[in-house]
Amino acid sequence: MLQVLANGLALAAAYALVALGFVLVANAANAVNFAQGDLVMAGGFVAVALSRLWPVPGIVLLPAVLAVMAVLGLALSAIAYFPLRGRPATAIFVSTIAVGLMLENGANAIFGAEPQAGPPLLPGAAIALGPVSLSRQSIAVIVTAAVLILALEFLFARLRFGWRLRATAQDREMAASIGIDVTWMIAFSFALGAALGGAAGLLLANSFFVTPTDGINYMLKAYIAVVIGGWGSIRGAVAGALLIALFEVVYPSLPLLVPALPVSWLFTETTATIILYGVVLAVLLLRPRGLFGEAVLRRA
Amino acid sequence: MRIDPSRGLRAPLAVAAIGLALWPSVFSSAYDLRLFTLAGVYVLLVLGYQFIFGHVGALSLTQGAFFGLGAYASAILAVRGGWSFSETFVLSIAIAVALAALIAIPVLGLESHYFALATLGIAQVLLLVCREWAPLTGGVNGISGVPGIVLFGRAVPGGSPSLILVWSLVVIGAAVAWRIQRGLYGLAFHVVRSAPAAAGTIGLDSGRMRLAAFLLSAAYAGAAGALFVRVNGIVSPDVLEFPVMVTCLAMTVIGGATRVAGAFAGAFLLVYLPEWFRPLDKYYLIAYGAGLLVMIVAAPDGLLGAAARLRQRLMPETDVAPEPERLPRPEVPVTAPLIFRDVVKSFGGVKALQGVSFEVRRGEIVGLIGPNGSGKTTLINIATGLETCDGGAVLYGNQVLTGRAPFAIARLGIARTFQNICLAGELSALDNVAVARSLDPGVDIETARAQAMHLLETLGAANFAMSQVRALPHGVQRRIELARALAVQPQFVLLDEPAAGLSEREQADLAGQIKTLRTRGLAVLLIEHNMPFLAGLADRLICLHEGRVIGQGSPDEVRRNPRVIAAYLGEPQRVPA
Repeated sequence: MLQVLANGLALAAAYALVALGFVLVANAANAVNFAQGDLVMAGGFVAVALSRLWPVPGIVLLPAVLAVMAVLGLALSAIAYFPLRGRPATAIFVSTIAVGLMLENGANAIFGAEPQAGPPLLPGAAIALGPVSLSRQSIAVIVTAAVLILALEFLFARLRFGWRLRATAQDREMAASIGIDVTWMIAFSFALGAALGGAAGLLLANSFFVTPTDGINYMLKAYIAVVIGGWGSIRGAVAGALLIALFEVVYPSLPLLVPALPVSWLFTETTATIILYGVVLAVLLLRPRGLFGEAVLRRA
Repeated sequence: MRIDPSRGLRAPLAVAAIGLALWPSVFSSAYDLRLFTLAGVYVLLVLGYQFIFGHVGALSLTQGAFFGLGAYASAILAVRGGWSFSETFVLSIAIAVALAALIAIPVLGLESHYFALATLGIAQVLLLVCREWAPLTGGVNGISGVPGIVLFGRAVPGGSPSLILVWSLVVIGAAVAWRIQRGLYGLAFHVVRSAPAAAGTIGLDSGRMRLAAFLLSAAYAGAAGALFVRVNGIVSPDVLEFPVMVTCLAMTVIGGATRVAGAFAGAFLLVYLPEWFRPLDKYYLIAYGAGLLVMIVAAPDGLLGAAARLRQRLMPETDVAPEPERLPRPEVPVTAPLIFRDVVKSFGGVKALQGVSFEVRRGEIVGLIGPNGSGKTTLINIATGLETCDGGAVLYGNQVLTGRAPFAIARLGIARTFQNICLAGELSALDNVAVARSLDPGVDIETARAQAMHLLETLGAANFAMSQVRALPHGVQRRIELARALAVQPQFVLLDEPAAGLSEREQADLAGQIKTLRTRGLAVLLIEHNMPFLAGLADRLICLHEGRVIGQGSPDEVRRNPRVIAAYLGEPQRVPA
């Protein structure tokens, strides 16, 4: 039970990073980044490649992955967002889908279609906690993601630079009028979003492997987390990620936890995913502003 | 001169004819024939996708799923039920349309980013179901041994006969799409897409148009899926995967999202490019993503759009304006008044309107004045259904307008213009006006254009009829908006700052035109700041301040009203002279 919970939390932590990256870009650029899932996949492969060159624990590679992905995020904004400013929203959907396609097929050309395992975050196996043993990886993933999320929180709450980012996200014109370089802030949001997605890629690559076609799944999870948490809300995105990941992990194990329930197709990962989409459609229909009411950052 | 109705048809017909005549004879191996047949299947898929993505402008990500559903429906019915081709073909279309109708209810009203997600989610659910429900769908292996096409009791063999059958259906599909898209529907879709606020005010029911486009796109995808599986003989969950959707999207963007010929160009390029660039192998797919990106950035209207612009540049061809034609029936004189009764509206904590009551009667010009932020535009937005009020009501005679959709209000004969001009910038002035004639069921596009020409002429904008609206000066755009409002044949015209930005001569012209409307029995409510303009024009003035009526009467009475003067003191340059 505890292990299931730890797995769920680890997955949730990674999803939260993906969703945060997604929502940062959505706020700053008012654009949906369809390549966010492929950035997660790319982060996983960057970690795989780095660990081949330099076989050290994943945690040591994290700064390098963050840096490479931030550059990729800048590139993404330069080729798929800035040339399309002022055009209908669908143009940016299509351009980011195109970049996602390039990332996916690029990874496929370099690494092949087979799943690859990323480096574990820390060396060593399981931690014994009384009678149960917890995987060291799960704990490390949770801690790493929590540190990143707290660092982000610190950036937004305490640093001048974070205030400028927040101001840009709330009202670009107002931000520009008080002398904030909005273009640079948007570019930085893309870099930050890509770095967070890439970090999630590194965290997930060990237990869940990484495959070039993973992108769409992660993109959908981030999207769903953001919809459930309330569009534009940063804390909502984290809460949404937590909810969907726990559901995904706990639901298929329900027959194990509750012996009265039958083991059947009702309790598979597929069914869990279908239920998840059903819930999202219901949320969109009934509470278009998310489960937790108004988004924290509402756009005028 | 009437505009040649066959002009838009030439290009696709030529492509189809050349394609049909040449390609099978040039490429005669079984593989080439199959590839050409497959291209036809993709043309159908893309033609359908153009309705929702191109014409409505909504990023639907279920087109691939409708295609896969059509394929699976045909395969399951043919293999497990032994159904014939014609039966499965019709059923594949029906099932795809049924699913579209089902999901349209929750999904179609969503904002763009939610719409994309919701449609993608539905596609993913379908894929998962298909993979898991093995007894029905064959699971990950799919269904093989789907019999080929049998028509009228005779087998249509693979190769040329199948190719001809598929391409005949493609030609029919293209002709139907072309019929729908040219003419007033095409214009109406353009307005719904690029000037959504205006669409309702000329009586276009955007919701219904979106639904129709979504169902049509599903029907084409279902048909394409049904043909695909008969040509292929096998179906697997691959057809429901995201890459199929992305291929369809790329074909549409690359060819051109709103042109029938674009569907042919896009489908052909993306089916044949991998063949020509086979040595590139997997790197081809990267280049294909890059190509999609370059197109969306550099040529948003696709290869065909870029070609059309290039041709226009090299061989400028100005369309000849149609002969003007009077609008058929004279406007029925206003019999019922437009009544504002205790209208209340707040935005967040700001009380925009706090119980506004007045009436506008037949043959009357009423000026609505008041300092900025006094609630004038909000009032017109409520009367035309663009906003709802929190209390009170707007009535037209004894019919309550509040709560009705903008298109329903427009159809009752209430038209408006916008303070921030709201025209479809890429359309010509003529088409912007002509589209507002689409409410009249007997009017085809040629008649609509002729009548629009008449309206533009009476407003002194005939010279600009064939120009793209985006390039026209402000004053002309205002006149086009007025012409569009009149094309609805309204009984009430609500004008939001019609004289703003006009020269004095233009203002005098406009005043003359508004007086003509009054003589014809129309009622006019106009928001204005310009007192000299109003003084000679309006029968009555109503002054709003902080969401209340603070004075009404003849222009003279109102401008001597001490409360009105006090309200304007904050804006001395606009103190009524």
